[in-house]
Amino acid sequence: MHIVVCLKQVPRDNSVKIRPDLTIDAEGIEKIINLFDEYALEEGIRWNEQHGGKVTALSIGTSEWVEQLRRALAMGATDALLLSDPAFAQLDTIAAARVAAAAIRKLGDVDVVITGRNSTDDESGAFAPALARLLGWPQLTYVGKVLELQPGGTIKVERHLESVIETVSCRLPVVMSVIKDINEPRYPSLLKIKRVAKIEPPVWTAADLGLSAADLTPAAQLAERVPPPPRPKGEMIDGPDAAAKVRKLVDKLLEYQVI
Amino acid sequence: MSNVLVILEAVGDDLAAISRELLGKGRQLADALGGSLAALAIGPTTAVAARAGQFGADQVYTANAPALAQYTTDGYVAAAMAAVQACNPALILAGTSFQMRDFGAALATDLNAGLVVDATDLQVADGAIRATRPSHGGNVINTYRFAAGKPVVALVRKQSFPEAAAQPDRSAPVTELAIANLNPRTEVLSVAPKAGAVNLTDAAIIVTGGRGLGNKDNYYRLIPPLAEALGGAYGASRAIVDDGWVPYEHQVGQTGKTVSPKLYIAAGVSGAIQHLAGMRTSRTIVAINKDPEAPIFRIATLGVVGDVNEILPLLTEEIKARLNR
Repeated sequence: MHIVVCLKQVPRDNSVKIRPDLTIDAEGIEKIINLFDEYALEEGIRWNEQHGGKVTALSIGTSEWVEQLRRALAMGATDALLLSDPAFAQLDTIAAARVAAAAIRKLGDVDVVITGRNSTDDESGAFAPALARLLGWPQLTYVGKVLELQPGGTIKVERHLESVIETVSCRLPVVMSVIKDINEPRYPSLLKIKRVAKIEPPVWTAADLGLSAADLTPAAQLAERVPPPPRPKGEMIDGPDAAAKVRKLVDKLLEYQVI
Repeated sequence: MSNVLVILEAVGDDLAAISRELLGKGRQLADALGGSLAALAIGPTTAVAARAGQFGADQVYTANAPALAQYTTDGYVAAAMAAVQACNPALILAGTSFQMRDFGAALATDLNAGLVVDATDLQVADGAIRATRPSHGGNVINTYRFAAGKPVVALVRKQSFPEAAAQPDRSAPVTELAIANLNPRTEVLSVAPKAGAVNLTDAAIIVTGGRGLGNKDNYYRLIPPLAEALGGAYGASRAIVDDGWVPYEHQVGQTGKTVSPKLYIAAGVSGAIQHLAGMRTSRTIVAINKDPEAPIFRIATLGVVGDVNEILPLLTEEIKARLNR
């Protein structure tokens, strides 16, 4: 069985700035694998340990991304693949899915694609559904548990939604997105990190993937990008003791009509 | 291509609040585009389809095949494609629940349409649709402009627009759509309510605890009782969820839930940027922390410096006394 895990590199936190040309400035913030994608990777590695075959860690990015792909290899991915081209710099979510879909088609023998429920920077959760539709495969999103996965057969999962759990099955191949509760990602050992430190994953460009400029053009133009309006200045509650502070706090909450 | 199509949702036997919001906003946008407002009710929602006319729809479509009794991506996208064929919309509006995210992104891909998820504002300017959405945990507010000629699928964040008011003497024709070859590839085997489900996203008041409480026992002794006295829900910081004090369901923040209640009380929460990302748009924020330098105070409406283990029991008692609970 061949499992592909799609990883996005994101800033560790979202304290980003906005440049005058409206691009996002995340300089000085450590770049990490999107947290939800780590759970996707762990799930892919676990099923590969059970069924054998390949787990390919796939990412779109510049050459600095290779470091995160090596981390994926150290965790237990068997292969890594970087999709890299200057033309990939400003992809929207659906265009990113077009790039990944072209790579997955080129790989040819993929049974399952796993990714996180959303990225922690863009937060749309649109990548997995877009990828599934582009590949023409069924999709299983917000998966909290994989109950069965039979190579060449079917998959049965629990989808964890706001207030219900759906049990859903379909035939492979499939695209699925996973939530944080699904497993506990492992830490790669130092030995494994050392062992993969020199691996250079293959790099595929837009031309390798047969993608045209039209495939990569965002559907919308950014018209404005601003920081959120500042919150009104707060007020500190003082008092001689805790009881006095609490009384004053409750006075304020009643005055604000929030309780 | 100047019409607007709203995908309806139901709660029990009534239109969901989000649907009334979308019909209100959809009406405005359809007028601005010079088109009409259509609504689509799929599967169980068809029971409330006729209500959409009272809230501003000019035309209502229903899709009621047996295969649509439960949500599947294929089923809902097929139903929406039939409605798109019928009314050729410039803009398709839906909510942002997990199901609608699953559906909306799939529909936009099939239509080769523009997509905006979690929209907080929508406008028509010079005939083009503009959509605003936050990203990066609310630290960046993006406004996109979509070129005319391609439809746009917009999934709208709850409570972004006022709900349309009912106009009892208004109605709209209801047309059943025929959907050919409906054969969803996923099969829903069961739908079970989540045990101990907490709908933090819908709560008007949230009390969240963090590591400042000291231990798990203190969390359960102090946080749920205060939430209960206020008629609210209780949340947790990532730190104490990762430590196993509280289930993930309760986590607020970048990798948990994004909430925007009218009152958010953060007790013993330092206010890491990942936490602020999940609650910074709350109307009134109360921070209680013994460290006066804690970042949570920078966004708090009301701040109390002190020991949460001393303050919270007093606060719960004071609220019970003042609210007669």
